[in-house]
Amino acid sequence: MDFVDSDRAEGRWLSHGGASAAAVRPDPVRSAPPMARAVGTVPSAISAKIVVGGGFGVGKTTFVGSVSEIAPLTTEAVLTDASTSVDDLAATPDKSTTTVAMDFGRLSLDSELILYLFGTPGQHRFWFMWDDLVRGAIGAVVLVDTRRLADCFAAVDFFEDRGLPYIVGVNCFDGVLSHSLDDVREALAIDSAVPVITCDARERESTKKTLIALVEHAMRRSAAARA
Amino acid sequence: MNGSNGDYGDDQSFADVVNTLSGGPWRTRRRKRNSQWQPPPPVSPEPETPASVHDEQPAEPEEWSEPSSGPSVARPYTWTQGRTAPIIDLGVETLVSTSEHGHDMAVLTCAEHRAVAELCGDPRSVAEVAALLSLPLGVARVVLADMAAIGLIVVHRNTYSSADTPDMALMERVLSGLRRL
Repeated sequence: MDFVDSDRAEGRWLSHGGASAAAVRPDPVRSAPPMARAVGTVPSAISAKIVVGGGFGVGKTTFVGSVSEIAPLTTEAVLTDASTSVDDLAATPDKSTTTVAMDFGRLSLDSELILYLFGTPGQHRFWFMWDDLVRGAIGAVVLVDTRRLADCFAAVDFFEDRGLPYIVGVNCFDGVLSHSLDDVREALAIDSAVPVITCDARERESTKKTLIALVEHAMRRSAAARA
Repeated sequence: MNGSNGDYGDDQSFADVVNTLSGGPWRTRRRKRNSQWQPPPPVSPEPETPASVHDEQPAEPEEWSEPSSGPSVARPYTWTQGRTAPIIDLGVETLVSTSEHGHDMAVLTCAEHRAVAELCGDPRSVAEVAALLSLPLGVARVVLADMAAIGLIVVHRNTYSSADTPDMALMERVLSGLRRL
């Protein structure tokens, strides 16, 4: 099984490393051909994005599905070392490939605003997908199962490293919180400013509250950064 | 990596290893000392050596798969004439909708453009287009960028305050929208 290096991955144009990649990425508005903007009446639709991270089986898709107006969809990215040329693809259909699945849901917040919730792909070799996901996101909810706390370390590390606002949602299975929130905060070694709250990923109201807590946290951080 | 227990044996033995090494049922997340920390490079799927087991996350083979046959992967790229990079940058959440020009069936000469045009009467995200047309994300991006370039779809650009961070006005709208739900 070959795993491709980042330059040859399908997501070659994606950010690989934050600031430097962002700096060389062409401005999408300026680089868009004029026709794309000039044609038709342009409705002022706008989207926002929240990322849902955490270990496998912690309830990311359940969380997304509890508020999504559509059944969570799955989109896949294909990594292939044959993606450099059409001839390679046509001639060698058995090239080794790997697909990365991302679940996401959609929430129309008003007539012109759609919020998307994206679950992170679980495999850590797919960091480049995470970069794509966090770019432009309001923030992230890290779902935690206290029985398998270490599963969320990678997500916490990643969001901290990328400077993305995040909160920790301790998913209470069967309504039982087996450890105190202070214990969770201590074990995760996270800043006191980061909210740690309980949630039930199956409950729409709970998920809604969790998302509200995240957006409030992101706005506080944004305001503090400007002050 | 051929099963959920492939790397670690059964849960009990993994827990034993962790407990032995950390002195408790939880291991505390180590603080990053290096601000230049980068994600680890892709790791090989082979089982880790016992010495490094406690530093790895459990395998999650259910979240990815390897198609056994090539054509199912190769075929979508015929939509893009084999290209893998879109000509404009599109986020997974970027909304697109069919333009007036794109509603004119006479200009939709290829099947993939027709499929997208029919789907995007109302704004949809790039990720939705990919999922609903069963296309890999990268393929959808190439097709959508092509369509934007010839005016068949409108790309709805988000405004970011700086450095890809959503601006405060957008976050306020999201917040009040969530509260109204």
